[in-house]
Amino acid sequence: MDFTNFDFDQLFGMKDDTNPLMMLIWILPIIIFIFYGQRIQLYVTSGEIKKGIKKLGGFREESRNELINYVNKHLNPKDNPEKKIDQFLDYFTIMPVDMDPNGIVEKVQHTVRSREDYTREHVKSLFSEINDVELSKTQTLLEIASSLQMIHKIINHMFLTAKKQNNYPLILPLQMILPFIMEQAEAMKEAIPVFKRGQPVGDGIGPMVVGKMMLHSPKEIVAFQTAVAKTEFESRKLFLLKAEGPGSTVGRPADALESIISENKLDAIIMIDAALKMEGEDSASVARGFGAAIGGIGTEKFHIEAIATKKQIPIFSIVVKQSVKEAITLMTKEIADQADDVRLQVYEMIRENTKEGQSVAIIGVGNTVGVPQ
Amino acid sequence: MFSKEKITIAYTIEKCEGCGIQKKRKFAEGDVLFSKISKCNSCDGDTVIDKIFGETIEQ
Repeated sequence: MDFTNFDFDQLFGMKDDTNPLMMLIWILPIIIFIFYGQRIQLYVTSGEIKKGIKKLGGFREESRNELINYVNKHLNPKDNPEKKIDQFLDYFTIMPVDMDPNGIVEKVQHTVRSREDYTREHVKSLFSEINDVELSKTQTLLEIASSLQMIHKIINHMFLTAKKQNNYPLILPLQMILPFIMEQAEAMKEAIPVFKRGQPVGDGIGPMVVGKMMLHSPKEIVAFQTAVAKTEFESRKLFLLKAEGPGSTVGRPADALESIISENKLDAIIMIDAALKMEGEDSASVARGFGAAIGGIGTEKFHIEAIATKKQIPIFSIVVKQSVKEAITLMTKEIADQADDVRLQVYEMIRENTKEGQSVAIIGVGNTVGVPQ
Repeated sequence: MFSKEKITIAYTIEKCEGCGIQKKRKFAEGDVLFSKISKCNSCDGDTVIDKIFGETIEQ
């Protein structure tokens, strides 16, 4: 068969002898697309989104079941915990009004801490005996399951609303954000076994570096779930700060810093944290910079910056780059291998930026699961 | 369609504080960083957990 012998005039021609059936072949789809294009696109996109929602629903169920199994197997609850856990999963947080931003940080901090305190106390009440490490792990698992439930609810709501109104422009933003949401949700799902087993996560690189520096020094609890060790390095006084491990917590570094500064004069603050890598950047690459390296909702960062500004203390940072998934799942070999190098860089930073007789606070920021001090 | 299944295996690195000898083994329940494991066979120093990490392999 000779495929090169096409008569294009037959297909696209508008001459008198053109076959009307051939004309319909290309005119009809154009007409259909003009009137029904948006609807067709809605159906095609809906299929993709439906798959994503189904996956999210699966993650939600899996995280709930994993949590209930973990509680029943390892923690001897007083009664059947299912009902109470289901109640916790539905908790929501209403952020304070920000029309008048004055004092908003304190309000946000109060709301978030109230939620944490409430959850902690109620999780505790489920068991006759539970130690702090198990309590923090259960609380983290609860947060993961609750977040996955919320993500599923929101995405499902957006999808059903668009579908109900046959509104393609409404479905577009959903299609665009879905890959990012799925990445986060998958990371959360994969984080569950890691937190259950108490293994260090990528975000724990800061506590890992500082934890090792604290090893042979006496430690004390300086703020809620936050430990400090005082030590010396080349005639400089070091205050080493990290969340109290090996539980799953980020502690309260701002409160700890405030407590230290109320009794001591600091000349520099060095913060070590995990940072989100940009696409194309190498995972586990180390970068130095200025300013407070700490994530979260921003309240801790605000307070650390406020203290530093008030006392005119420079803040230096070292970050280890990683993806969202790496930050909340089992620490990779590449990240773990950087710990010794980062520790050397911290010492180098101390030498470069302080003089003998001065004091430095070194804060290991991040979730300290599996990382004691 | 033909993507291989990825599994992550957790490992623990034990390191002697005296002579620096390292031993890699699979992660065991209860392992936490910096905890003392045993005495080193070569120098009688303390062996501690130096690293816990995951390695991903494709199946």
